[in-house]
Amino acid sequence: MSRRFPAFLVLALLAFMVLAPMAGLLNLGSLPGYEMTDLRFWESAYLRRVFFFSVWQALLSALLSVLPAILVARAFALQPDLPLRRALLRLFALPLVVPAVVAVMAVVSVYGSDGWLPLGRSLYGLNGILIAHVFFNLPLAVRLLLPQWQAIPRHHWLLAEQLGMNSWQRWRFLEWPMLREALPGVVLLVFMLCLTSFAVVLTLGGGPRSTTLEVAIYQSLRFDFDPARAVVLALLQLGLCLLVAVVTLKLQRLPEVEIADSATPTPITALHKALDIALILAATVYVGMPLLSVLIDALDGPVLSVLSSATLWRSIANTLLIGLSAALLSVSAGWFLLRYSAGLAYAGHTRGARLVDLAGSIVYVVPPLVIGTGMFVLLSPHVDVFDWVFPIVISINALMGLPFVIRCLGPAMRQNHARYHRLCLSIALLGWHRFRYLEWPLLRRPLGLAIALVTVLAMGDLGVIALFGSPASATLALLIYQQLGAYLIPQAAVTAMLLLLLCLAVYALLERLIGGNSDATY
Amino acid sequence: MYSFLRGTGKGLALLLMSFNLQAAPPNLVVYTYDSFTSEWGPGPQVKVAFEAKCACTLELVGLSDGVAMLNRLRLEGANSRADILLGLDTNLTAEARASGLFEPHRLKLQASALPGPWRDDTFLPYDFGYFAFVYNREKLTSPPASLRQLVDDANGASILIQDPRTSTPGLGLLLWMKAVFGDEADQAWARLSPRVVTVSKGWSEAYGLFLKGEADMVLSYTTSPAYHIIAEQDSRYAAAPFSEGHYQQIEVAGMLRSSRQKQLAGEFLEFMLSEDFQKIIPTTNWMYPAVAGDTLLPAEFAELIDPSPALLLEETQVARERKAWVDEWLEVMSQ
Repeated sequence: MSRRFPAFLVLALLAFMVLAPMAGLLNLGSLPGYEMTDLRFWESAYLRRVFFFSVWQALLSALLSVLPAILVARAFALQPDLPLRRALLRLFALPLVVPAVVAVMAVVSVYGSDGWLPLGRSLYGLNGILIAHVFFNLPLAVRLLLPQWQAIPRHHWLLAEQLGMNSWQRWRFLEWPMLREALPGVVLLVFMLCLTSFAVVLTLGGGPRSTTLEVAIYQSLRFDFDPARAVVLALLQLGLCLLVAVVTLKLQRLPEVEIADSATPTPITALHKALDIALILAATVYVGMPLLSVLIDALDGPVLSVLSSATLWRSIANTLLIGLSAALLSVSAGWFLLRYSAGLAYAGHTRGARLVDLAGSIVYVVPPLVIGTGMFVLLSPHVDVFDWVFPIVISINALMGLPFVIRCLGPAMRQNHARYHRLCLSIALLGWHRFRYLEWPLLRRPLGLAIALVTVLAMGDLGVIALFGSPASATLALLIYQQLGAYLIPQAAVTAMLLLLLCLAVYALLERLIGGNSDATY
Repeated sequence: MYSFLRGTGKGLALLLMSFNLQAAPPNLVVYTYDSFTSEWGPGPQVKVAFEAKCACTLELVGLSDGVAMLNRLRLEGANSRADILLGLDTNLTAEARASGLFEPHRLKLQASALPGPWRDDTFLPYDFGYFAFVYNREKLTSPPASLRQLVDDANGASILIQDPRTSTPGLGLLLWMKAVFGDEADQAWARLSPRVVTVSKGWSEAYGLFLKGEADMVLSYTTSPAYHIIAEQDSRYAAAPFSEGHYQQIEVAGMLRSSRQKQLAGEFLEFMLSEDFQKIIPTTNWMYPAVAGDTLLPAEFAELIDPSPALLLEETQVARERKAWVDEWLEVMSQ
């Protein structure tokens, strides 16, 4: 049984999906009438500012999201018996699916001049961008880091207790080494998410002084209709991310894994517990307030009239179809990649393993607009693109979900492989049986998380569907935009709430169905 | 799901057709923008009204905006399924004409409601409007009386605007400033800049923020208050009349050269100028109909401000200078 072949197939597909559209666009750029405009990047003061601002806001956002997330995730890990723990963790998956325009309105409801915690004009600028980005990414980082605590073997906790280690020592010798495996990847993911942020940066940024590279790419492709320039800028963004990836992953340490069952840590002092609860409470309020404002705005609106619209139900069907298909595709592709990279890591080829993971993650920063337009250029001479809207949208969403799959599943699969690979070989547990009797029971929980996350992510996506849109393929996110565009702001608020509730339900259902009924939710 | 089904449906239809060679009614494809096709836009009513006349099906395809439609057509070239493009504004017509993708309409715009004469032989207008700053009368008691006052009064109203690279009203304001301040527009932007709360990607974000009370005024249309009056019975919102006049937006449609049913496409353009189409516009697109007629406008439109004189720059000048003007705006606004 070869692990290499399916992984290479996935890698080849990824490369094709990213490079072929770019080549298509570049080819267009050389046609008469499509002259590439000036690209002397370093001579344009504006582009220089855009570049530095993109990197600066993404770095700050990543640090402000991930550092507090470590503390919050630790608090969750050390308080396994907290009431409502499972519900809170599900709440933490929601910000990711809030469409950008809804998130902007929600942030303004909380921090705007008429908001609950008014910041006035100072909201617009770096402040607003950071507030919104932390709202999106802090909960995500918590979800992705939390499983690392679960991977700490029970006897380590017991040993720590016997040795009388205090909280700091446990952190230093038990938790930090485990965390170091996942942390660089999570930082990189959040960095990428913030680097490519578009509507949030444009609207809360206060004006073109806060413009990101993503906006410059959009401008080149849409406003200036200069595909070649868009591709060059997209490659620049890709290069930048590669650089950051090399630096962050240098800091990664793959821990030595032992055969041991994991367990929740031993109880700690009352003071510590109070601190943990305070931390969780603070994070919940921060994440919950904008979500609550979405709910309040919606309950003020015409809930019944929105619910009785046929368009809404068609959009819900489309949204579910896109979300579930994209997740299935994304998780399958991620599975093959990770199985290969886990094997590589086990055999000592750490660099090769990292490279495979990186290839799966980095595709995220190629703007969907570039991929989508490029695909359109390639397909439209041969087929009727309207019949391909769903396959295209689903595959691009699957591509965009891949970094999440790699973050969710990667560490667990690597640990699993290290623990049981030799055993499997010795008892000839191979192929389907290995999946059914070993991998499924042990990996279903991170698998459930990955599928649930990518599903809701694709459900909230707007970028790709708007590119190809036709009346029949409206999704809830697109419907929200259409309502906003028709002055129907109260209706849009209701649709936004329905999108959130639908995501919450789908998320809970998938996590339960696939992840299994376990008390310890990641 | 629909698309999947349609794909299969098409295969089935082909199969059936090989047995039964009955001609299906012709299908007229119109590319337009999203908000035109949405449930609340003119699209659904237009479809019903036209299909009642034409013994055809009208397929409205919603794309994000005028720029997206034009780019899409350029990419598709002669292979495009579209017969009609509906939803460009006059800031894009010069470029669209230069693409060579469009066919002259050979129709005459009779009883035009536009402030100026219509001489375009490729595109026909279906509605128009004027950009304006909209405010809440209860919150802002003395709105600026001119664009110059808005720009020069350092303690004046705070505003929300849109980005000219991503939004039609955003580009409209850029041209408005050019029309009023000419070569000194960059200095005017520099004076206005401190009172710009934020520059949003599209109209929706800015208008939403305005309704949440984030600024005194928002860049929108003179007809926006009509929505609040008619649909919400709320007369708090008004557009501020500016003494220099208001910049105009004229939305147009044209027939594709590659269309294989030019006869039907021509019928659609004619229908577009008829009362049946025009009366749908005011309360769905919230713009003025392009054709004059006493019965076309709801009474509430009489409460709106008089935007004259109408400002409009030459389309060739806009096409030539647009990029340079946007770059200039970027330099000033990103200081």
